[in-house]
Amino acid sequence: MSVPKKPGGKALEVLQNLPRITLANLRPEPGSKQREKKRGRGQHGGNRSGRGHKGERQRGTRPRLGFEGGQTPFYLVIPKYGYNEGHSRRPQYQPLSLKRLQYLIDLGRVDPTQPIDLTQLVNARGVTVQPLKRDYGVQLVDEGADIFAAKINIEVQRASEGAIAAIERNGGGFSSSPSRSSCAGSLSQRECCQGRIWSHITQIAENRGYLADPEKIRQARLALAQKYGYILPDISKDELYHMLSMRKDVRQIFFGLAPGWVVNMPEKKILKPTDEKLLKYYSS
Amino acid sequence: MAASFTLRGALLGVSRLRCRTPGPPAGAAGLRFVCNAGPEERRAGIIESTEEYKFVERLIPPSRVPAPPRHAGVTPSGWSPPADSPPPLPYVIRRSRMHNIPVYTDLTNGSRKMTLIRKVEGDIWALEKDVKEFLKEVTGKELPTQVNEVTMTLKVKGHFDGELKQWLTSKGF
Repeated sequence: MSVPKKPGGKALEVLQNLPRITLANLRPEPGSKQREKKRGRGQHGGNRSGRGHKGERQRGTRPRLGFEGGQTPFYLVIPKYGYNEGHSRRPQYQPLSLKRLQYLIDLGRVDPTQPIDLTQLVNARGVTVQPLKRDYGVQLVDEGADIFAAKINIEVQRASEGAIAAIERNGGGFSSSPSRSSCAGSLSQRECCQGRIWSHITQIAENRGYLADPEKIRQARLALAQKYGYILPDISKDELYHMLSMRKDVRQIFFGLAPGWVVNMPEKKILKPTDEKLLKYYSS
Repeated sequence: MAASFTLRGALLGVSRLRCRTPGPPAGAAGLRFVCNAGPEERRAGIIESTEEYKFVERLIPPSRVPAPPRHAGVTPSGWSPPADSPPPLPYVIRRSRMHNIPVYTDLTNGSRKMTLIRKVEGDIWALEKDVKEFLKEVTGKELPTQVNEVTMTLKVKGHFDGELKQWLTSKGF
């Protein structure tokens, strides 16, 4: 196989043999530059200079855009309605398709042997979340549900029914919980988690909310399996059952870490407080 | 105590500023860590551990693109790894940083469709000939192409990214 290393080939050879390029040697490709139209000059540009004959057109006194000669214009005939009212206060969820998730797993950017969280997805550059644009997390979309074939333990904020079905069909674990960072601000964590904003997501078994009743979740899994027509695999007999059933505590932000711990990164150590008052404060 | 609770309700940055002037309140040890005990007592009240550090390492975003794991053939998502040895052709098309085939579509001026093949090494004119033959079989038309020898790219008129990607993976690039 002959692969010459020099890039450019014939074009570079030609350039090397010709004299030095200066402004005096350059000329545009014939036909590439067209002369511009000059108004008010010559037989065709002169006389009325492209303005037409008399009236508002020639005299430049036409009315504003949208004016219909006195008839109520279109933009005033249509009544106002609040379609976009409060659009900048609505929570948004960045969509993540199962096709993209499968692609990330196949390329080794997301590790299926560990629980998949919002942090893991952002570290893999699989999704980009912009909290300043009212992004409250990630939602799973069921595009690619038929090609999805990975057993994962995933926790996102929202998911469509088909996406939950696809994950559970492959023997994975799914749960939905609000991203704890979105509760920052005036509301404390506890008020936020139990507030009416999240109760319809977090306490319902259909969404596998983290506050929902485990018994109801089990029934919902069976119901979904019947609806979508697959046999629900028993994950308790799986070797990865411990990882697949790992769920975060209600107030926990990161897996395996608790508030109040100080991390010493150069020495790779974690310092945990033992004082009662501190422990009480951090678990409040 | 009441003062510390109202401070906690405000923004963290503002609460830190306000906290400095009245002095450390009794119960808000978390906001400003002022310890009146000696250094020995403070060190004794801390447990050091290294087992949970792996959770911290998981949170750090990697700065390099990880190498994909070995796969036998086509993966469920449609990605296929490059062949182990490059095919015996006079040109080579390298994979992109994210291990994908470097074929991209372009749309300029609202209606000008183009397909771009980047990262070509070797005899680009042979690649142009092969691409023209392949697209003649696919579409039945002679499509105009543009070879840029300096940047080693090939542009084709029309959107053919799907067909060209499949063709290049079948060749083993």
